[in-house]
Amino acid sequence: MSFMIEALSLHKEFPARKNGPSPGNGKNGDPRNDGGQRLFSPKARPQLVAVEDVSLTIQSGEIFGLLGPNGAGKSTTIRMLATLLEPSRGTARIAGFDVVRQPQAVRRRLGTVLGGERSTYWKLTGRENLEYFAALYQIPGGEARLRIQELLARLDLEAKANELVERYSSGMKQRLALARALLPRPPVLLLDEPTVGLDPQSARNLRQIIRELKEQGHTILLTTHYMEEADQLSDRIAIIDHGRVIALDTPRALKASLTQQEVCRLEAAGLPDPKPWASQIPGVQEVNCRFLTESQTWEVTLHLKDYRAAAPELLRLVTEQGGRVIQLSVKEPTLEDVFLSLTGKALRD
Amino acid sequence: MSGLLATVRIIWAIVKKDLLVMLRYPLNTFMMMVEPIMWLTPVYFLGRAFSSNSVARGFLATTGTGDFMTFVLLGTIAQSYISAAFWGMGMALRNDMTSGTLEANWLAPVSRLLLLFGKSVSSLVRTSLNLVVILALGNQLFGLEISAPFWKAGAYLLPMLIGLYGFGFAYAGLVLLLKDANVLTDVTNFLVSTLSGSSFPVKVLPTPLLMISLALPMTYGLDAIRSILLGIPPLVALGWESLILIIFALVFSLAGSYIFRRVDQHVRRTGTLSMY
Repeated sequence: MSFMIEALSLHKEFPARKNGPSPGNGKNGDPRNDGGQRLFSPKARPQLVAVEDVSLTIQSGEIFGLLGPNGAGKSTTIRMLATLLEPSRGTARIAGFDVVRQPQAVRRRLGTVLGGERSTYWKLTGRENLEYFAALYQIPGGEARLRIQELLARLDLEAKANELVERYSSGMKQRLALARALLPRPPVLLLDEPTVGLDPQSARNLRQIIRELKEQGHTILLTTHYMEEADQLSDRIAIIDHGRVIALDTPRALKASLTQQEVCRLEAAGLPDPKPWASQIPGVQEVNCRFLTESQTWEVTLHLKDYRAAAPELLRLVTEQGGRVIQLSVKEPTLEDVFLSLTGKALRD
Repeated sequence: MSGLLATVRIIWAIVKKDLLVMLRYPLNTFMMMVEPIMWLTPVYFLGRAFSSNSVARGFLATTGTGDFMTFVLLGTIAQSYISAAFWGMGMALRNDMTSGTLEANWLAPVSRLLLLFGKSVSSLVRTSLNLVVILALGNQLFGLEISAPFWKAGAYLLPMLIGLYGFGFAYAGLVLLLKDANVLTDVTNFLVSTLSGSSFPVKVLPTPLLMISLALPMTYGLDAIRSILLGIPPLVALGWESLILIIFALVFSLAGSYIFRRVDQHVRRTGTLSMY
């Protein structure tokens, strides 16, 4: 079977900086290879591992979600696939073309939204932006005009096409960035956090557009740290943390991996750290606790075999600790629970 | 689309985009156009104070022309191109970095050297537009005229520009590496412009500075242009000046492209492209 996107054992490490994060993905990276003894040698600098042994194969027409917290290695992975970064090791191919050896062929087949609303010229109009990028993509003049008109209409930008981008809303800027990515009619789309910073309505509209693009046959690799977005859009999801893929499957299968368990969520006030005592409840397999500063309450997520059997003990312990139950519920596992179960931390942490 | 046509279209798109962005800042554009003449105005009156019957005798003895103002005007033109090479491409890249559009440009399936070349053409066009305004204002305000046809100087101007923009490629690479090279750009631009004799004859420099001046290819380009347009004797034979400029053009265009490619490869490895 031929894949539209293939990444085989991709690995990226950066020289560590004295002050600040690693360059590729912001904050992530384990200091390795610390050979600080050799002064003045470039090899002496410690390396930050941003992506470690990532392998993905994405079929034509698939929406593939790369889900992980900020700094997990999502953007570094997508930048390597987009030819902006060279992998330290491993290979990647887009529509069969190697991202290192055939970058031009790769770019011809890619539409990319990186950096979202900042990736267009704010002092040009929407139409002027698209005309400029159409020339860079070598789309002949007449054809370019037709495509631009079609994209402006399809992405609901027609009315403001001749206004400066600086007057656009965030949602419109993001749609313009998507229009730019779609200009060359690429078979593969790389969308890095496409809905970040958008209001709920704009984000919903953009998700709908992404679904339509899939229906038209585009292969889409989407990075996000919004679980609901990954869940709603993706045919398959890779959960990435500390540069490694820690789970890869359909959203349903990922959630089903937790079906042997029930997920109980307790919100309680006036408690000390609940982790030590909550772990003692019979049948509890995993406990994750988060202090909600706004409400000054603890949110305790318990993965357990039988909620009904454990509930009385849970309530008794809360009372014994001097706490007060605000909310108690049992829910279907979500991707957040999958992430919690795999990493022991919330996606937003 | 054929290769050449596509290349021309890409370059034109870059020039058009840059001109449009420039025009969206009308006050800046106005100032950019009139600023050189503002700098020239006191120089003009100082020159007049040292002249009698529009001829600066001491200047005539040093340079072979008493037309002080045209001498300086030609220097201003050359200085504009030197500044454009320093600032044009490096600053264009820097602006793309800070505005967030650099990656979008570099994701296009075109050579990054072509994108940079487009920026150099854009910078050349803007500088040339600026010069038209300088000449027109100089003519209207001070009655300045350059009677010898400009094309005669083209054989010297062209290799000088090619060399300068080759240097600009390398400088753009430096901006990619250092991110903020403004101070370095200012200092180097000032030294190169000054020591190549944009506003005075280099003959008046003390020996150590004259040695540096004579090591700069721009000195010979400027000297040759003045020699042809003002009919004054050159520093060395025009044939030698021509050879120096051709070697400058070849070496700097090749070296500039090479350095830029290497830096591009470096930033792709280190992941610093999107950092600024």
